[in-house]
Amino acid sequence: MRHLIRRVALAAALLAPAMPALAQETLRLRMNGDVNTLDPISTTNFTVRNAAYLMFDTLYAMDETYQPQPQMAEGTEISEDGLTYTITLRDGLMFHDGSPVTAADAVASLERWGSVDGLGQTLFSKMESIEATDDRTLVIQLAEPWGLVLDALGKISSNVPVIMPAEQAATPASEAVQEPIGSGPYRLVPEEWVPGSVVVFEKFEDYVPRDEPPSMAAGGKIAHFDRVEAIYIPDTATAINALIAGEIDWIEEVPADMLRYFDGVDTAEAVAARQSGNSMQLVVNHLNPPFDDPLVRQALQLAVSQDDFLLAAYGDGEDRYLKCAAVFFCNGPYATDVNTDRVLERDPEAAQALLDEAGYDGTPVMLMHVSDIPTHDAYYAVLKPMLEEAGFTVEVQPSDWATVATRRASKEPVADGGWNVFFTGWGFVDQSNPMTNVYVSGACDDAWFGWACSDELQQLREDFAVAETEEERMALAEEMQRLTHDLVSYVPLGQAFPSVGIATDLEGYIESPVPFFWNLQRVE
Amino acid sequence: MLRYAAQRILAGIPILLLVSLFIFSLVHLTPGDPALLLAGDNASPAQVDEIRARLNLDQPLWRQFALWFGDAIRLDLGNSIYSGKPVTELIGQRVEPTLVLSTVTLILTVLIAVPLGAVSAWRANTIVDRLAMGFAVIGFSVPVFAIAYVLVYLFAVRWGVFPVQGYKPLDEGMLATLHSVTLPSVSLALVFAALIARVTRASVLDALNENYIRTAHAKGLGAPRILFWHALKSVGVPVVTVIGIGFATLIGGVVVTESVFNIPGIGRLTVDAITRRDYPVIQGSILFFSAMLILINLVVDLSYAAIDPRVRG
Repeated sequence: MRHLIRRVALAAALLAPAMPALAQETLRLRMNGDVNTLDPISTTNFTVRNAAYLMFDTLYAMDETYQPQPQMAEGTEISEDGLTYTITLRDGLMFHDGSPVTAADAVASLERWGSVDGLGQTLFSKMESIEATDDRTLVIQLAEPWGLVLDALGKISSNVPVIMPAEQAATPASEAVQEPIGSGPYRLVPEEWVPGSVVVFEKFEDYVPRDEPPSMAAGGKIAHFDRVEAIYIPDTATAINALIAGEIDWIEEVPADMLRYFDGVDTAEAVAARQSGNSMQLVVNHLNPPFDDPLVRQALQLAVSQDDFLLAAYGDGEDRYLKCAAVFFCNGPYATDVNTDRVLERDPEAAQALLDEAGYDGTPVMLMHVSDIPTHDAYYAVLKPMLEEAGFTVEVQPSDWATVATRRASKEPVADGGWNVFFTGWGFVDQSNPMTNVYVSGACDDAWFGWACSDELQQLREDFAVAETEEERMALAEEMQRLTHDLVSYVPLGQAFPSVGIATDLEGYIESPVPFFWNLQRVE
Repeated sequence: MLRYAAQRILAGIPILLLVSLFIFSLVHLTPGDPALLLAGDNASPAQVDEIRARLNLDQPLWRQFALWFGDAIRLDLGNSIYSGKPVTELIGQRVEPTLVLSTVTLILTVLIAVPLGAVSAWRANTIVDRLAMGFAVIGFSVPVFAIAYVLVYLFAVRWGVFPVQGYKPLDEGMLATLHSVTLPSVSLALVFAALIARVTRASVLDALNENYIRTAHAKGLGAPRILFWHALKSVGVPVVTVIGIGFATLIGGVVVTESVFNIPGIGRLTVDAITRRDYPVIQGSILFFSAMLILINLVVDLSYAAIDPRVRG
């Protein structure tokens, strides 16, 4: 029998010339999702954002200290009154169709981005005008001083203010550009793009990288591969096996229960992304009973325990998660422990007491139990008994993510398709910044799902945008956290550091909350 | 014969119409709004409304169906909500992997199952029969993904003779394609071989009790000739029926295998479309499945006539 297996193996090996001669020149990536579009303005989807970074460039980019640095821009001259920003483009910037990048393209691209992105909308609301004064110069004229202009232009996460040709930027932001043209280090190969399977990029020979060493999104973007393929492999176990067998080079996220696949393997490793991470939240709908009552919301804080959720989702891999109630991430620049007692310590009796005080009438909390995402599935299973022990009445409706993603937009009562709570997650870059964190807007009807309402929070954000020193900003961030945890726009459930799976023959991978693939190269 | 085929094809049209109406209602009654999924987390209600209007999702359901059906009879299945590409193009890209995988699986299945079933019948109730049918029961009972993972572990991760995943299109060479579909085809074939082997065994067993087989024995023919020439020939109809059903199931039902082996086939296209509420793709691919099913049934029926002269009448 063993003889037979060996012969079969030999025969198959002879057939194998057809196997990919694992080309040094191709980098193969498995992102968390499929790349359905490469227009990162038409959607906030992170997979699209990550793939779009291969082919697009931005005027400014965040370095590893979260300071905006010039990327396509050569530099910016700011007038003394702080109202006029004159941005000069680097010489020799080219789009992938061979046309030069002009300031007019940049203006059109920023206008499209500013029509949809939250930070972009704020920037444009502060502007009097934006115009291209010649091919390489654009001038932003502010109506009032605003300290975050370059931060906004270098926004690292969705929506990223990428620059595309003016004709394409004329497309409404709600409609995806079908075959977008960028000016980044790699070029899209549209004829090889199979949605739901693979999207292919080639090195763009005319790209001129900056001279500075790479630092997160900033610095020189050097393309070391001739070709990059983002392959959609739906099954995670298959993706990990493919990584170990050398068929692909990188996996965006290795689930905690699959880390042991890498034991004793020397072709690939799982590396915890300590620098960034994700946070999980239980989002609360302020419009529907019982959570229209602030006391009941605070009872919810006391009813749940972060430890149990983290254990359920990440097992005993304690170095891969962090108990955390900081609104702006525990490892971010605005981390603080202000007003976190109720959130960090579970106390079902105190929760029950608050419910009694609020006169809770047993209105059921409806849980839309998502079963097609393993982490969510585990979280809902943990949440139900916790709520019941604290005195809540709970009703469960089995669901999938697509249904929840639709239903959470409804402001109707639960019986008419509305909702009470749902779990979601956000990444470091969005949550660590008080200007983009969705839970501190306090914007009532215009707020993110849950519609938490607070004039004070709205004012704090206004103040933050014009604050001049880091101390002022820190004080404002602390105040935002204090109010947010009293208002309970969400209940924080800790922070996780998912592992990236990467081939051991690669070097130069940039530490960043958004994965970048320039600078990465294969070593013999 | 031609007339019969034409009649059958015409009879398929009302079936397709009913199927499409049924699918359309089912898909649109499922909760979930593609516009919201498409817009992403930070989109404002106004943006979502804009997308909904652009996709005609704000129109009454009957009007949406009329619009879609009007285009469908001109073979225009619309554009994917999710990727913006024409549905016919998306299906076109996915047909080859599924057809190759199904065909290779079918050939392997027949090569394994028919001799196995015939020999089991010939040696009925002996140890050979029990071993063969034991294998059949195991093959049918073990889930296909379990077999798949074991094969991947042994032949791809341990010994590295086949790739873990992926599909090489035919234009990269026949050998490359076969190499890439070997493991998925074998895992699927083990399941289907079990089913077809059992049917073959039962039919051959019946045939072996017929008078003409006794005559063949009396003429002094050798066992292999009686079994594979006389007996098998007469069991063609039930076996071909099962093979036809198997092929139809393969085309629509290889989703798990396509996912485990990352083969960009049409089954995966459909499942991905369902999770994204990509209405035009769901409708288009299910319409495609229905058409394939009708076609396969027709081929099976026509092959009866070829196999069994009595049917030709």
